[in-house]
Amino acid sequence: MFRSRSWFGGAWGRPKNPHSLERLKYLHNILCKNTTVSENNRGTLVESLRCIAEILIWGDQNDSSVFDFFLEKNMLSYFLKIMRQKCGGSSYVCVQLLQTLNILFENIRNETSLYYLLSNNHVNSIIVHKFDFSDEEVMAYYISFLKTLSLKLNNHTIHFFYNEHTKDFPLYTEAIKFFNHSESMVRIAVRTLTLNVYRVQDASMLRFIRDRTAAPYFSNLVWFIGKHILELDTCVRNDADHQSQQKLDDLVAEHLDHLHYINDILCLNIPDLNDVLTEHLLHKLLIPLYIYSLTSDSTRRPTPSPYNRDHIQSIEAITRNLEAILKGKNAEVSPTRITFPRQRIESDDESKPSVSCVVALFLLSQVFLIITHGPIVHALAWIILQSDISVFEDGATSILEMYISNAKSSVKLEFSKPQLSLEKALENTSGYERDYTTPEYSGSKTFGLEDTDQSSCDLDPELVSTSLPSTSQMSESSSVAHDSTEDLVTQIHFMKSGASLKENMPDSPLPDSGIESSSSKTTSELNNITDEEKQKLLGVATTSSSDRVITLENILDRENREIEKRPFLKTILDSLDCNENDYKALFALCLLFALINNKGVNTELLDTLLCPELDSNKEISVARESSISQNETTSTQDHTSTPTHSRKSMQSFNALLISKLMTIANLSCKPASKVRLVTLELSVTLVRIAMQGASGVAGARHIAFAEGLRGRAAALARNFYKCDDIFLDMFEDEYCEMSKRPLNVEWLCMDAAILLPPTRTPMSGIAFAKRLPSGEMERARRAIRSFFLIRDLYMKLTGKQETQLPLTNPAPFVQVGDVLDLNDSDLISCDIIQKDDTWHHRFLAVDNIQIILVEPDKQRLGWGVAKLVGSLQDLEIQGDKEDPRCLHLTIHKPRVGASGALPRTILLRAKFKFDDHIRSMAAKQRLTKGRTKSRQKKMQQIGRLLEVSGISAPTLVPRHRPLFSRPGLTAIRRSTGGDADDAERRLRRPSAHMLKDGVVVYRERTTSRESSVSRSSSTHGSRDGSPRARSEEIPLEDIRRNASFATCMPSTSVAQAQPSTSTQLPKPTVSAETSFISGEPRPKRKGIVETI
Amino acid sequence: MAYAYLFKYIIIGDTGVGKSCLLLQFTDKRFQPVHDLTIGVEFGARMITIDGKQIKLQIWDTAGQEAFRSITRSYYRGAAGALLVYDITRRETFNHLTTWLEDARQHSNSNMVIMLIGNKSDLESRREVKKEEGEAFAREHGLVFMETSAKTAANVEEAFINTAKEIYEKIQEGVFDINNEANGIKIGPQHSAVGGASGAGGAGAGGAAGGGCC
Repeated sequence: MFRSRSWFGGAWGRPKNPHSLERLKYLHNILCKNTTVSENNRGTLVESLRCIAEILIWGDQNDSSVFDFFLEKNMLSYFLKIMRQKCGGSSYVCVQLLQTLNILFENIRNETSLYYLLSNNHVNSIIVHKFDFSDEEVMAYYISFLKTLSLKLNNHTIHFFYNEHTKDFPLYTEAIKFFNHSESMVRIAVRTLTLNVYRVQDASMLRFIRDRTAAPYFSNLVWFIGKHILELDTCVRNDADHQSQQKLDDLVAEHLDHLHYINDILCLNIPDLNDVLTEHLLHKLLIPLYIYSLTSDSTRRPTPSPYNRDHIQSIEAITRNLEAILKGKNAEVSPTRITFPRQRIESDDESKPSVSCVVALFLLSQVFLIITHGPIVHALAWIILQSDISVFEDGATSILEMYISNAKSSVKLEFSKPQLSLEKALENTSGYERDYTTPEYSGSKTFGLEDTDQSSCDLDPELVSTSLPSTSQMSESSSVAHDSTEDLVTQIHFMKSGASLKENMPDSPLPDSGIESSSSKTTSELNNITDEEKQKLLGVATTSSSDRVITLENILDRENREIEKRPFLKTILDSLDCNENDYKALFALCLLFALINNKGVNTELLDTLLCPELDSNKEISVARESSISQNETTSTQDHTSTPTHSRKSMQSFNALLISKLMTIANLSCKPASKVRLVTLELSVTLVRIAMQGASGVAGARHIAFAEGLRGRAAALARNFYKCDDIFLDMFEDEYCEMSKRPLNVEWLCMDAAILLPPTRTPMSGIAFAKRLPSGEMERARRAIRSFFLIRDLYMKLTGKQETQLPLTNPAPFVQVGDVLDLNDSDLISCDIIQKDDTWHHRFLAVDNIQIILVEPDKQRLGWGVAKLVGSLQDLEIQGDKEDPRCLHLTIHKPRVGASGALPRTILLRAKFKFDDHIRSMAAKQRLTKGRTKSRQKKMQQIGRLLEVSGISAPTLVPRHRPLFSRPGLTAIRRSTGGDADDAERRLRRPSAHMLKDGVVVYRERTTSRESSVSRSSSTHGSRDGSPRARSEEIPLEDIRRNASFATCMPSTSVAQAQPSTSTQLPKPTVSAETSFISGEPRPKRKGIVETI
Repeated sequence: MAYAYLFKYIIIGDTGVGKSCLLLQFTDKRFQPVHDLTIGVEFGARMITIDGKQIKLQIWDTAGQEAFRSITRSYYRGAAGALLVYDITRRETFNHLTTWLEDARQHSNSNMVIMLIGNKSDLESRREVKKEEGEAFAREHGLVFMETSAKTAANVEEAFINTAKEIYEKIQEGVFDINNEANGIKIGPQHSAVGGASGAGGAGAGGAAGGGCC
């Protein structure tokens, strides 16, 4: 490709300074001379266009005359002329032209300049120009140009793009034609642009969008999403062996993108737009495809039920009915009491697209996780939870109408291709586009290139008049649609008014819909109940009120009967069956979780699931009585126990839900269970929510359930309880893992891998929790984790504080930088030689659970600063074959709380060189013993947790006490952490001498208050500064408390903990209770010294 | 001049770190540091050569779209490479890197190559973030690191090309599924029947955007 620079340079006396008015004049000259693009001059043109952008930006910031010249000569018109030529290499020039415009609009700071650039309609002419979009480069630059313009939109600039008089908005209408472009970046740019347009919030523009474009755009968008879902479904169906997981990933991510995009639009809170979008989503996608698909699987096994035997054979027919109601309403004038010819229902068969139940559950979960727009999620939730057979049977459409009303709507409830392609639809809405696009039009006077003063608002009256009829037609038809959506929304709004949910509602509720308030809803509903039904209800009411004692079986029985009438909810609850596997159950759980946690769903509606059965039972019976009597008098309501109105018609399925969830949890306590950990975790979470209900307190029966469950989980984990190192490590690792990564359902539902049937092999790359265990090790891990999850449920339901987990409580640990009183402690001097030959001299001290390397404190004799602290449990000890004075130690970083990690990081790996082999041996002995002891203690703790027989359970003792409680230490820390005055009082209190063996620890690296306390004590008078004086300042109550703990602790466990201790202590508890170094009883110390 | 591969990049980082200037400097080298002119652009494309193969880079700037979650989400996912840019004269832009990285890791496909860029290296006197800090951050998070100056064009070529090289290597290793366009990688049109027509367009366009470089 030839380069223009040499060709260009020198010729025609080009001005030297690249940034000057002269240079622009020179470039203008070039444009004038090269009006026709050809092979020969296109290089020159590209170069000129490039320079023009640069000079203009420079001029914008430095010299206004440059811009004046550009506008004066109307140089944008040259751009247009060049663009419109269809000759060789036009795309080459067009790309540069678009890039020049991009640079121009992106970088112009001067607002006036921007307005001038936009004021003649050239930019709109460029927008509607039909570039060669098959060239991906042109496409990319074009869409970036549109996006750049959309970023410049505000209340002022919008009028340059949207023409109120001609009802013309090319920037928007041209862009959305590419909403389904094959190139993802183009699609994203279109979405960005639409959002940028909507958020300008110009009333007139938004009206245009709603009336002219919303219906075609949203219907196409929704159709596109639906088609995408069918593709996803095919992918899931055809990929049982995890082959095309990446494709599935993309399809799932794409669906999430769509939902996020819709949510972003809804979150802009533009009522008019939201109404149209809501209607299209519900009627064209969510109900006919997502919800419909919930039933499609169960159609194969028709469910016999006393309620539907006569009229309806299968659940599918119900959905058809639902659809027919809505279809029928389209044609019918009277919305109530429509009878459907059976033939018709059966005739439109087999053509309906649907996805598998698994996919439908998964997608609905995503919907509920992402979208919070009240009218959408509430309507969906209502259909799932409330819609029942009686509604379809009796044609009680008024209830349905509340949510999916479309009495006047033109939007049919079906997933079908929009009648017009988006492009065609848009062409119909705008009479102007054709004029823009044709080159003939460009020559006309209205947007004449010579007429620079022409503003976009000055319109050719002829054109306006010709376009008017179509305009009025359009707005008429769309306003009809709009009214109906407003109906829908206001009704939902009224329905929800009690819940005081913040949402966006139309500013002007229609007067007629205002009459239908929530109070009238119940009566209208009752009107639709047949006499038979009333009799039945009365029967229920009388039996339940006469028989006050209601057993769980009765409740379950009734709920099982009732559920037959709720096809969608039944599908979900039936999916919770994990006997074969938990494939479907996981999605049903996700959906329930998302539904319950969605902010847009009315809480009263959720009572269907969450209201505890005993209360609701009473309520229902009372409410039914009252609602029936309401026909005569409305005042009966007053003496019902709950003030809520809408609850009266609600049947709670709380007991049924809990029993299903408990079945999952119980199944996962079996050795060969097919329940994955993630399913268990979700079930346990839901069980807790369901048991606690609205009140937040679980009933005694539920706690008993949980207690039993905990026992079974412990029994399962007990199978793997072995006194080896691996079990303990595994136990602690699992705990860390669980606390580190609490369940995030949103993330779970982003993972396409769960859409494939559950697998066992770790080679699938699927996380452990999301697959079944493979091998003995993983089965042990699974059992342990299940135990933790179920134990957590039990603790939360009972409101008990967790005191036994994690096994190690990090709080009373000695930490690096702590200053320790080491008088009277066993210290072994050693040199630490690391791999890189760095060398340190330290003293080794061994605590009950910690290995501490100290350096003498320079200020105080007998005190030391902890330089490195590790837990004995995580220590590896090895002798040196060549040098008996040496030991090789590896200290792993301890798992502390939730920060434990796999793989474990090494804190220190070094050679320890002692003075002689005796000291080396002593150190080795002490470390080995310490390690064994601390591990044994932990195993005992686990044994207690898992209720292993033979291990006594001193449940009264908090877990850390017997291990490493240090009265002195805890006291000081507590006082320094608390109120300053209080701390001082505590410190001054004269203390008992019995604590002289306690270790006093000052932290010099923590908070200022702590350090100030310790520092003041060290800098004050000599008496205060002495360690003994400090140790005497320990508050009395702490000692007493510790003493009481010590005495109440059974001695058996301690004796077991130190079976090899040669020196029997007078009081066994002391060694555990007093702290580490000086806490060692004196006789023992002497013994060691003697051996050395 | 058809390409063998097309890589899509995104540029991320705080506002004002010079993302769009980097882009323009790379795709259109004409903008010289005269008169203290800073110009940026949202999109650019350029042809480069790696291993004797023509590779087209498409760079999409995401500036100004942070308000919409759906948009940032999708952008991340559609890219094969990302330039994570901070300003060496503003400490806070460096401090925000973790957030950007978390976002990128969460939304992007796991194979996306991320390059860390400390921009404005020409402003040595106002430097607030040491080069070593950038290096350490990159090491810690497994990124490639480079300091650039969009103004003097120092290292700008290298930043884009090195990222492309890494993507190219990943393709050679078979890490990327190149038939899946959602990864931000596209195979060139030379094999297709209509290669002639679009190839010609690509040639012209490549020249135009490529400026004086090739």
